[in-house]
Amino acid sequence: MSVYATPTQPDRPRLGVRRKTDSLLSYTIRKIGQSLVTVFIVITVVFLLMRLLPMEGYIGEGYDKLDPEQREAILRSMGVLDPWYIQLKNFYIDLARGDLGTSITFRRNVPVAEIIGPKIPYSFKFGMGAIALSLTCGLCMGVFQAREKDRLFDRLGTGYIVFINAVPAAVYYLFLQLYITSATGLPILFAPEDPKSWILPTISMSLGGIAGYAMWIRRFMVDELNKDYIKLAKAKGMSSTGIMFKHVLRNAFVPMAQYLPTTLLMTIAGSIYIESLYSIPGMGGLLVDAISRQDNPLVQALVLIYATIGIVGLFLGDILMAIIDPRIKLVKGGGAR
Amino acid sequence: MVKRLALFVTMIALIFGAIGPVVPARAAAPITVVLDGKVLPTDVAPIIRNGRTMVPFRAIFEALGAEVDYDPATNTVFGFKGPSFVILNPGKTTAWVSGRYSKLDSGPVIVNGRTLVPLRFVAESLGEKVEWIEANNSVLITTTPDVPLPAATALDEYKMVYSGEFVSLNYLTTNNANDMVASANTIDALVGYDNYGVMRPSLAKYWKTSADGRTYTFTLREGVKWVDYTGKEYAEVVAQDFVDSAKYLLTKANASSHSKPLYSAIKGAKDFYDGKTTNFSTVGVKALDKYTVQYTLVEPVPYFMSMLTYVCFYPVNGQFLAQQGSKFGTDNKTVLYNGPYILKTYEPQNKREFVKNEKYWDKDNVHIEKLSYKYNKEASTLAPELFFRGEISAADIPINVLDAYMNDPSKRNQIRSGLPGTYNYWYAFQFDPKFEAEYEPDNWKKAAASLNFRKAFFHGFDRVAAMLTYDPYNPEGQIINTLTPPNFATADGKDYTKLAPLAKFSNGDSFDPALAVQYKNKAMAELKDKVTFPVKVKMPYRTDLTDWTNRAVVVEQQLEKLLGKDFIDIIPVGYPATNFLGSVRRVYNYAFLETNWGPDYADPQTYTDPVAPGDPYKYTPIELVDDGTYKKLYDAAIAEVVDLSKRYELLAKAEAYLIENAYVIPYRASGGGYVASKLDPFTTPFAPYGSASLSFKYRTLLSKSRSAQEHDRAYEQWKKDRAAALKKAGQ
Repeated sequence: MSVYATPTQPDRPRLGVRRKTDSLLSYTIRKIGQSLVTVFIVITVVFLLMRLLPMEGYIGEGYDKLDPEQREAILRSMGVLDPWYIQLKNFYIDLARGDLGTSITFRRNVPVAEIIGPKIPYSFKFGMGAIALSLTCGLCMGVFQAREKDRLFDRLGTGYIVFINAVPAAVYYLFLQLYITSATGLPILFAPEDPKSWILPTISMSLGGIAGYAMWIRRFMVDELNKDYIKLAKAKGMSSTGIMFKHVLRNAFVPMAQYLPTTLLMTIAGSIYIESLYSIPGMGGLLVDAISRQDNPLVQALVLIYATIGIVGLFLGDILMAIIDPRIKLVKGGGAR
Repeated sequence: MVKRLALFVTMIALIFGAIGPVVPARAAAPITVVLDGKVLPTDVAPIIRNGRTMVPFRAIFEALGAEVDYDPATNTVFGFKGPSFVILNPGKTTAWVSGRYSKLDSGPVIVNGRTLVPLRFVAESLGEKVEWIEANNSVLITTTPDVPLPAATALDEYKMVYSGEFVSLNYLTTNNANDMVASANTIDALVGYDNYGVMRPSLAKYWKTSADGRTYTFTLREGVKWVDYTGKEYAEVVAQDFVDSAKYLLTKANASSHSKPLYSAIKGAKDFYDGKTTNFSTVGVKALDKYTVQYTLVEPVPYFMSMLTYVCFYPVNGQFLAQQGSKFGTDNKTVLYNGPYILKTYEPQNKREFVKNEKYWDKDNVHIEKLSYKYNKEASTLAPELFFRGEISAADIPINVLDAYMNDPSKRNQIRSGLPGTYNYWYAFQFDPKFEAEYEPDNWKKAAASLNFRKAFFHGFDRVAAMLTYDPYNPEGQIINTLTPPNFATADGKDYTKLAPLAKFSNGDSFDPALAVQYKNKAMAELKDKVTFPVKVKMPYRTDLTDWTNRAVVVEQQLEKLLGKDFIDIIPVGYPATNFLGSVRRVYNYAFLETNWGPDYADPQTYTDPVAPGDPYKYTPIELVDDGTYKKLYDAAIAEVVDLSKRYELLAKAEAYLIENAYVIPYRASGGGYVASKLDPFTTPFAPYGSASLSFKYRTLLSKSRSAQEHDRAYEQWKKDRAAALKKAGQ
């Protein structure tokens, strides 16, 4: 899961006509209802898919040297021998009590919440740092590229964007880790207590975002600069910096706003590659690990979390857009998601 | 009162012995005991009983450097020295040498209130040479120096990166390989292995085996403590801890992966496990008193002592276990420690730190103070770079990046080859194929049943060519010619693989192209009307392993080229890592397959387990094509549980039969590869089975990684030392 929803190809904002019966409250309630159904379906499907995995996968490497009765005892203790509907029922009963269950193969008998809990802050901090960095750098870069269109800075910037998009991230991540650490003496592995060890991972994580934001802003601005209202603003004698930031940037930012909440919330999912390179004990890769080890409770909990924040993020995005752009209304009817 | 009197008498005797003159008992022919050229002074003169020279026990034990003990309650004499100990009872002819039951033709006697013990027996039990010189009525004892255990170095922190996180610290249930690192370093067993592979008493101070080999009685070291993760004392380690652990393991609901060795060996254990009885006192694990634990076996197991280093014989504090319930072992705070290290810090997917257990009973043999592990998902990729930057203490150098490091002279001389591992790899033929019709299972079945057909493979398979895909620099290094790798077991000072039945294989090479073609022609003639040629050979491999993927192609081309496409058509079929064995080997979904096995106990039988009659582990049912000879050979070998030399000879015969009939094609041992490491590998506890070799007890760090030459020299020295140490300990 990426930290960034790269806003290069946003959905067209839904425009609609205000109806008098519509209110934010009823919209919210309807939306929550729909979201619950979606989450329920997602969780149930994932739950059932996990039950299709072979039983041997729960036992792992020691399988050969166990007697059939030992295998049965182990599977029974994991609760995977019950019929799927019993397991599903138990899962929802526990969930209703707020119990996400205990891990079966990832960290045996440890409550899933205890596994996930300490990981979220790491991913969140790095994600937020990286978003802050990529928004700041990306927006500035995009604005200046648009202003300097076809001049040196723009070309350099475009070169950077092309490089980031063309070269697999793994390559420049590794390059940064190995060469920058040996050139600067920055630590190669992350240690929470060492502030210096936060620097490189954050920078690495923001590189893709910088390119994405810069590209989007530049493109939008270049399109926008030829429009009538800009000409008017120019004619009125506004400074070009003022035009850039007050008019163009604001308009360019609207479609991005829809994805911003999701992007922020999804930071807790962590970055698989950066976290594994720098030994950051975050969430990145946890879902992949959990699936490959067939840790059903852990998979279910993670899917629940990700599905929920995905939906909440979209919902907040809609609201945020409506707030920023007065033309957009949250309409009743088939248009809303 | 009796105790005091005995002590008094002993003390008087001691003082008398120390200052008194040597008074010969019989003026006529005084016997002198000469130890390394010096006459051994004894307060009571040596005597001869039943043709055996008897000397005062304290004099001889102390002269041989053994620690002496006497238990007046049971009238037992003890001598402890390094890994060995001798137990004698005055007036009785039973004795124990390092726990093994022995029958003496002349037991200790009491003369003038002093206990005299048979000299030869005692000295030989402690590994010394004894000669009787008739001419001058003297006994000559020649001692050999002890092989010293590793000494501490100034380096005291080992740093490592790791990618395999602990799944559980509940050592009683988990069978995850990474978890074994934790238990091997934090939990002590009754016995342990040193760096030469010599078994040494650990939590058990000494033990006795019964005459029938079914009962083992261990007396525990007193004052050994359980401590928590901060090093705070919790309780003493007592006999009940072994009973509590056995009970937990044998309770099916606890879903332990370690119950099997226990319920296959211990009397009454299977019934308890199966729920046929709920009365644990029917199980042959008993705490006779606070410090005495007794195991009773279903039948004698010649390698039982080696099983004690397995998790299933680890103790647990029952009170703590009950208190923690299902939380036991979920982190470092919910387990207790009695071993060389404590898991002080445990942050999953971040770091772990083991520190030396200051309350460990044998802490003088723990030299590295701290083991620091930093998590990294790509640890194996990152490790070489971190090692050469000086940030970690050891790294495996993957073959694919070896060149880069070898071209740098400063790095090259820090790289050496890895030690051979204990897993064996061999190629198996499937005799009951269950695969898709397109690969013609029936045709294969008929072909594989032919000895000539199999022998064409056996002699046609160029193992070195196949090994090039694993180690292009030293492809011969890991090749083995028997199922049991060399240096695993010895009988009468001879390596098991060099015993007569196996010698012809272990001294040769199965690859013989001319012979292979001869067998091919014989097979084609023999099978002309029964089998369709070329025979399709389904050969699965794992697609996630680059070396195996490459090897599949190499093996296909090499065999087809040599034996001809008119004879065989090898078809490599790739399968993913997930559930590979479950979808290939265990369901007989192959014709020809590279497969492996790791040993479980100190007996060559362990390597024939995967090919045992009845195919208990689902490799291939050999009995379908064999005429029953193999089963007979196998059964005869495992029935021999008393005479170890004979047992090994019989096992070697059975193994040789398997190879002779090309039921298996031995291929290579695990391990090898290339390593840069500051750990001295020859200070590592040596045991091919169990988790002893994961322990950091005895281990020391070098100031710099050894070069290949330095490593080879040290390896040769270690092999010599090991042989000497084993010989001295009588193991």
